[in-house]
Amino acid sequence: MGSLLEVTDLKTHFHTRDGVVKAVDGVSFSLAEGQTLAIVGESGSGKSVTALSLMRLIADPPGKIAGGRILFRDENVLEMSDEQIRSLRGDRIAMIFQDPMTSLNPVFRVGYQIAEALRLHKGMDRKAANARAVEMLELVGIPNAPSRARDYPHQFSGGMRQRGMIAMALACDPDILIADEPTTALDVTIQAQILELMIEMQQRTGAAIIMITHDLGVVADMANDVMVMYAGRQVEYGTTDDVYYRPLHPYTWGLLDSLPRHDISEKGDLCPINGQPPSLIDIPSGCAFHPRCPYAKDVCRTDVPELREIEPGHSSACHFSGEPEFTRDVMPCSADMEVE
Amino acid sequence: MSADRQHPDGGDLHTPRGPLDAGGHELQDQPPRTLVPAVPEVTAHPSRTLWGDAWMRLRKNKLAIAGLTWITFIIIVTVSADLWVPQNFAEPTSTEFASMQAPSADHPFGTDRIGRDVFSRVVYGARVSLAVGILAVSISLVIGLALGSLSGYYGGLLDAFVMRTADIFFAFPYTLFAIALLAVLGPSYRNVFIAIGILGWPSIARVLRSSILSVKENEYVDAARAMGASDLRIMLRHIMPNAIAPIIVYGTMSIGGAIITEAALSYLGMGVQPPTPSWGGMLSEAKALMIPAPWLTVWPGFAILTTVLSFVLMGDGLRDALDVKMKD
Repeated sequence: MGSLLEVTDLKTHFHTRDGVVKAVDGVSFSLAEGQTLAIVGESGSGKSVTALSLMRLIADPPGKIAGGRILFRDENVLEMSDEQIRSLRGDRIAMIFQDPMTSLNPVFRVGYQIAEALRLHKGMDRKAANARAVEMLELVGIPNAPSRARDYPHQFSGGMRQRGMIAMALACDPDILIADEPTTALDVTIQAQILELMIEMQQRTGAAIIMITHDLGVVADMANDVMVMYAGRQVEYGTTDDVYYRPLHPYTWGLLDSLPRHDISEKGDLCPINGQPPSLIDIPSGCAFHPRCPYAKDVCRTDVPELREIEPGHSSACHFSGEPEFTRDVMPCSADMEVE
Repeated sequence: MSADRQHPDGGDLHTPRGPLDAGGHELQDQPPRTLVPAVPEVTAHPSRTLWGDAWMRLRKNKLAIAGLTWITFIIIVTVSADLWVPQNFAEPTSTEFASMQAPSADHPFGTDRIGRDVFSRVVYGARVSLAVGILAVSISLVIGLALGSLSGYYGGLLDAFVMRTADIFFAFPYTLFAIALLAVLGPSYRNVFIAIGILGWPSIARVLRSSILSVKENEYVDAARAMGASDLRIMLRHIMPNAIAPIIVYGTMSIGGAIITEAALSYLGMGVQPPTPSWGGMLSEAKALMIPAPWLTVWPGFAILTTVLSFVLMGDGLRDALDVKMKD
């Protein structure tokens, strides 16, 4: 038996008037039962498209999964019939979206929306599904759940709606929960509560989580593995400890350095990564990161670095990763560098 | 003043501090009152249904309620007409010199050129007008909803085809198109509402399509898809209820429009054929007699005006009532 989810060389391209956008270009990862994988990167790095591709939710046209393999319990998701994929969605793989203000349907009661998934996938009758919906709302910490289930979404606050979304996603007891920036639209205290809730629910249900975020702080407590994406490709992939304490790729260094930290002297300036992420239509030659990388050499402009396993279970897509003198300590602040 | 100028920050801070202090003192004077928690108020809000809420809002709109009352009144009068309207609308009254009588106790609205009772003709004319209005709009709704939703949901070639067809319909002047259609179908009661119905679908389809285009971008549609809902389910359960409000409004208003069109067609002799009374037809017959017998034009004209106005006012009220975001 393999792992729960095995993704190999996934490519998702969008055919637009301006050309082919390679939103995801050869991503591979695996996810074991009950584990948490964090996908980290800037806006437009392909995180969300990767997640949507897993459930085949990419609108076609213009999107197309151009290659690769997605094995869920040894079955290829990409070869499933529409019928099969629909029974997978919501039941085995569920998803939480970024904006809780718009992800609940305003014309239905919250309880009804949670019950809908149960009736669809578990064949429950209305009564059983409603009872289970109330139970789920209680589990995610909605006070007075039986009467709150009869409320409309506009009677819920933002944090409560996201709790409701989590209840909806977990109602069918899925194997994988995909959370696409679940806390971005919430304020900081609610963010912490929602993350705590997700950890608690994971322990309770044993669901694996794929957490998509651009906030490295969010993943530190939660994730077992971290995948860093840049311009549709993986640049670093390893356990959370590896990526946090022994990062290998200059882009990861940049991400970590641009994070405000309370354990480092307050006087130290933040060190942002200079420049902008590239347009995915016109990806820079060689290493996509080279225009923003303080170490870029000639080889970076010409050769695309392959993702190589540098230490066991920890890989990086940089030409110089693994060279003994190439470490984060010598990294100058890239903000001081002139971008071509 | 001069001190404030020297220390502008201090001055700014002092000004709001005064009232705050006063408020603080008041609070300290009566602490028990502020300690009473407001929790019951928060949890005890009434959980009404969406349609219940809409009805509450509609009830507050006096004009819409006036429209609704008038329409209800007309419907009751029309449906029960056979039970109490004394005179036959088609046959002249038996009296020899009964033509063009001014309103009297026997004939409250007067009689027309060949001695028929105008009151009963106006009442029975309401049947034609309401039936044409409602049936024509129903036809438009059936075609418009089907094509508009497919067009908005699937987009692409289908959308282009439907919308270009709609453009062709819009390219011809409306009344002229209706006359042409009736010339082909032959003027009759049934063909009038068929013609108006066929001409009405492009607007409905367009309104629905644009409404769906904006609704389907919402994350709850993605969420429904991620939950494993089928296209049909997403369309009917998740998109339609959120996209239908403009159609209800537009549909209500276009009943008024259809009544006007029927009146116009009948006025031109292309609509309902005599002796069946219709408000437009009555106006047409009366147009030469406006000075000697003004009651012949006033009553059907008044009926058209009030009925159409009622539908428009009600549509207007529905638009406000169905807006979920409009909280009172």
